[in-house]
Amino acid sequence: MTGEAARLLPSSAASPGGTEVALACAGIERSFGGLRALKGVDLEVRRGEIFGLVGPNGSGKTTMVNVMTGFYPPNRGSVRLFGRDITGTAPHAIARLGVARTFQNLALFKGLSVLDNILLGRHVHMRPGALASLFYWTWAEREEFAHRRIVEEIIDFMQLQDIRDEPVETIPMGLQKRVELARALAAEPSFLILDEPMAGMNQEEKEYIARFILDARDERDVTVFLIEHHMDVVTAICDRIMVLSYGEVIAEGEPRAAMADPKVIEAYLGHRAASRHAGARP
Amino acid sequence: MFYRRAGIRHTSYRSERRLWPLPFDRGLVAAVVVLLLVAPLVVERLYLIGYLMPWIIWSTAALGLNFLMGGAGQIHLGYGAIIAIGAYASTHLARAGVPFEIAALGGGLASAVIGSAFGATALRVKGLYLAMATLAMQSVVDFLITHVPWISGGGQATLTVPPARFLGADLRVDLAAYYVALSVCAVVTLFVLNVGRSSFGRALAAVREKDYAAAVIGVDPFRYKLLAFWVSSFIGGVAGAVLAFCYYRAISPDQFHLDLSIQLVAMVIVGGLGSVLGPFFGAALILFAPILLNQAVGALAAAFGLGISADLRAHLPLVLYGALIMGFLLAEPLGLAKIYDNVRKYFLVWPFRHAPR
Repeated sequence: MTGEAARLLPSSAASPGGTEVALACAGIERSFGGLRALKGVDLEVRRGEIFGLVGPNGSGKTTMVNVMTGFYPPNRGSVRLFGRDITGTAPHAIARLGVARTFQNLALFKGLSVLDNILLGRHVHMRPGALASLFYWTWAEREEFAHRRIVEEIIDFMQLQDIRDEPVETIPMGLQKRVELARALAAEPSFLILDEPMAGMNQEEKEYIARFILDARDERDVTVFLIEHHMDVVTAICDRIMVLSYGEVIAEGEPRAAMADPKVIEAYLGHRAASRHAGARP
Repeated sequence: MFYRRAGIRHTSYRSERRLWPLPFDRGLVAAVVVLLLVAPLVVERLYLIGYLMPWIIWSTAALGLNFLMGGAGQIHLGYGAIIAIGAYASTHLARAGVPFEIAALGGGLASAVIGSAFGATALRVKGLYLAMATLAMQSVVDFLITHVPWISGGGQATLTVPPARFLGADLRVDLAAYYVALSVCAVVTLFVLNVGRSSFGRALAAVREKDYAAAVIGVDPFRYKLLAFWVSSFIGGVAGAVLAFCYYRAISPDQFHLDLSIQLVAMVIVGGLGSVLGPFFGAALILFAPILLNQAVGALAAAFGLGISADLRAHLPLVLYGALIMGFLLAEPLGLAKIYDNVRKYFLVWPFRHAPR
């Protein structure tokens, strides 16, 4: 964590899972034409925790992430990152404030190697320029190698050593997801947003990613915001979760308790299943 | 064969990021550079001025266009206008008494400013719409140059380039002109090569591949597209100045019309989008294939005593030229540079079949 991100954090940093608020959204509303995708969502992610956002398909999870990262400025409401108002800030500027994210449907840069993709994650810490490129040997080389060292550490951390020179589109999807996570971590973010990092993965790959997320939080002081459909993973690694349905918050809190909420069961399984569930458990 | 190596044995980041990691490639580059340096001493003047010079200058211009099209993924159908701005601006600067060294940079700067001003408006749109917007730029610049006597010298006038010196060498002497064109080309080539291995080039590639993902890692897509327009136009402007002072020596508006822009786009695409070698191959093919085909058709007709009509004699080379371009792109959509790369990779591991990297 350097630059902007470091300055945003107070020196008396709270312990992981403490009470300092990393990201706060208040009254977020966002519509697309006549469709109200988010209807006044409030949420607070505390520094150092792994916060899960779950909900049925179309409930507004990805829209929420796009609001937080600046792609869809909210129609109403505000987003604050470590106390700073970032509502309406452009996505690239939000990235510079220490927010990194991965995408639901991979967004790696085809044609570049795994290594170059992860190096691109360092962009916010580098000073690229046309003249620096022209005088590469005196201007750019030292910076390149300094950042290369950091990237190699992340490659080791994510166990991507043997594929670092492969073109990124040629490796299996499970590894591509890992490369995207590595690119996000390369930015040394203080707030990491993962949009379904385990979609389409088998059990072993899921366990790998879960382990990387926990390690990233513990070793790199990252606050994690996770969207995920695999409930086993969500209940295993999230400290708190929030459940969205049709753009509204229907439950919030400790994962197991929130998932057992009748409104959540109704949202996922329908009204009859919810009443049967309620009947079974007095 | 010449290239063969087993495994990857880099021990430092520097050796891994070299421009030409293989000794054979370094030797080849050195040989080409030496050949180009001694060319004026061994090649007849006709070939030096008629073939080598235009090839070097158009390769420089195509490198500039490829920086934008292949590097940042933005199409430009008005690059001829960019070259025209550089040529006219530098000529007028030199006529006002500015030394060539500064006039050439001034030409590049004028192209960069005007080119990226158009770019800023054009970048509100993407893909085909950007193609149309840059096409409009070509028309606007053509019109302004032709109809403003202050720029063109009036109507269909030809503007003579004043005598100029580069570091004391008289540019009216062919030898000096050749070496100036060659040095500019070398600087641009080195620049493009180095962009490919530095953070600037990676950011451009990110914008080219997925601009929303580029934004998420902190790259401002608009800023980088605009920078690509700026740098590419600057290179085009300097190439225009070199063209005016070292080659044409008298410029008129019809030298920079749409057909030039289309030719440059053809050079870039046939040569290989995004490749540094591509523009050199592409420029060679677009410039020389018509001439060679013309001579070949003539020689064949004479050799076999075929009484082909004058019409056919005139048009057959053009038909073959078109077929040649289509044939190359059918064989390898990534252009001549990719064909070269395939051959190179074949020898890299011969007698085996699979190339490392």
